[in-house]
Amino acid sequence: MPIGADLVLHEENDPEQARNDGAVLGRVIEKAARRWATPLAIPLMDLRLEKTDLLACAGVPAADAEKYHFTSPLNESKIAALCAGQTAPLCRGSIARDQALSYIASLSDLVPVGMAIGPFSLVSRLMPDPITAAAMAGSGVAPEDSDEVRLLWQCLRLAEAAVQRSVRSQIANGARAMMICEPAACTAFLSPRQLKAGSNLFERLVMEPNLRLRAVLDAAGCDLIFHDCGELIDLMVEAFAHRLHPVILSLGGSRRLWEDARLVPSDVVLYGNLPTKSFYSDGAMPLEEVLRRTAELLANMKACGHPHILGSECDVLFVPESRDAILKKVDAMMACAPAQPISS
Amino acid sequence: MAQDSALYQAIVNGNDKQARAATEEALAAGVAPMDLIQQAMVPAMDEVGRLFEAQDYFVPELLLAARAMKSALVLIKPLLSASGQKMAVRVVIGTVKGDLHDIGKNIVASMLEGGGFEVIDLGTDVSPQSFVAAVEKRQPQIVCMSALLTVTMPAMKVTIDALKTAGLRSQVKVLIGGAPVTMQYAKEIGADGYCDNAGAAVGLVKNLLAKEAA
Repeated sequence: MPIGADLVLHEENDPEQARNDGAVLGRVIEKAARRWATPLAIPLMDLRLEKTDLLACAGVPAADAEKYHFTSPLNESKIAALCAGQTAPLCRGSIARDQALSYIASLSDLVPVGMAIGPFSLVSRLMPDPITAAAMAGSGVAPEDSDEVRLLWQCLRLAEAAVQRSVRSQIANGARAMMICEPAACTAFLSPRQLKAGSNLFERLVMEPNLRLRAVLDAAGCDLIFHDCGELIDLMVEAFAHRLHPVILSLGGSRRLWEDARLVPSDVVLYGNLPTKSFYSDGAMPLEEVLRRTAELLANMKACGHPHILGSECDVLFVPESRDAILKKVDAMMACAPAQPISS
Repeated sequence: MAQDSALYQAIVNGNDKQARAATEEALAAGVAPMDLIQQAMVPAMDEVGRLFEAQDYFVPELLLAARAMKSALVLIKPLLSASGQKMAVRVVIGTVKGDLHDIGKNIVASMLEGGGFEVIDLGTDVSPQSFVAAVEKRQPQIVCMSALLTVTMPAMKVTIDALKTAGLRSQVKVLIGGAPVTMQYAKEIGADGYCDNAGAAVGLVKNLLAKEAA
């Protein structure tokens, strides 16, 4: 299955209206699941929603949320209020997301899957320069010595609260599995050089908040699907696979899943990971190359015997001038998929 | 100067406080501002780029180095202006319309600045009209456009077309980059160059300018 709800959404007359209409969005998600013959009803990967909802609590209008960044440390009472008192109404997109989940949950043959940005990835959207702040923290700069580092840790607290709010809301609306998307937990944001030198940054910024999130999911009986399409080192893949222990681990196109299988417990299904971000271009990714890579991936996953679901490296976004090229390749990829997930 | 200088080491090590202190010390000792740029900052950023290519450094190290470089540059720029000196080549850079991602763009901007170019950063979500206006007003030799999303890439072509319509296309070299962008795409939309990482951007700009001059 591709993460393809966005492609189906853009078959609506007014996709932006549909995005914010729970009834229409629910049918879009159902249609996407049925089109690619999967019981997993994967929703839109709209990773803006948690930020919009968090900033609404801080008085930032939804229209301004995407461009808004915290630029200086907040006072403690403001942070505490934002973390504890997230009582502002959810944004239209979040309400539609939850209504769509309720609709999917009413269908007996589909698994309602929720979607949320991961805490660290949300941090990366709350600050103007999160990488430098993280790099400074990783080089030993203390919050007391740098406003940027202080803001980094403050944003993590805010992000964790916002993501947990989103997750709880989706669980209340019927989500039985939750896709947590942490693309910022990668080597672009967290230096492998610093990690090898003994920095605990990956642990504190990524693993600890996601382990707490995992506990929230566990308490509700909701499965974790963990997605990270960023550039990763093995240490990161192992940590996700063994310590977060998702039911499905979805990785980006730069990883060789059959090699990653040795890093992943056998009860964690690997998902992915055709390079769908390039599907728009027949020059960069011709159909023949899609078929070749699909065959290679399937053959290698069968050979290594690790459970695998064929899919995309990330969500497959609609590109107006390239819609036909993208759909043709997604369909060709899926035509190669085995009827059931490959299982040892 | 060069590799044994405190400023060079501070930039390569990504230490902004040391870079600032080293710059102040060098200026107080009478080192010419342009010499600091050409003999310490440019080679330092070259070395950072080399370490990045060798996968010894990663994006965080690039940004720390850029931060250190900027902490020195902020002291040097006013002195250059006061003495009537200026960078030889001007670059306008921005993330295209509809795209708010700026990490890649910021890194390229820093590497170019560290490479001795004057960089005018238009920010993110830059409309074709804003690129055109910046080219008209600032008269750069180079325009760099970034896009992270497949859905925003078409804005690169729209911007190039807008430069053509405004009669400005022949005045500038247009470079594009970003995760989904390819050389093939650059050719398709009529860009002059493409690079797949920030370290390569400096070399590409220099090559394009050298070809132009030849």
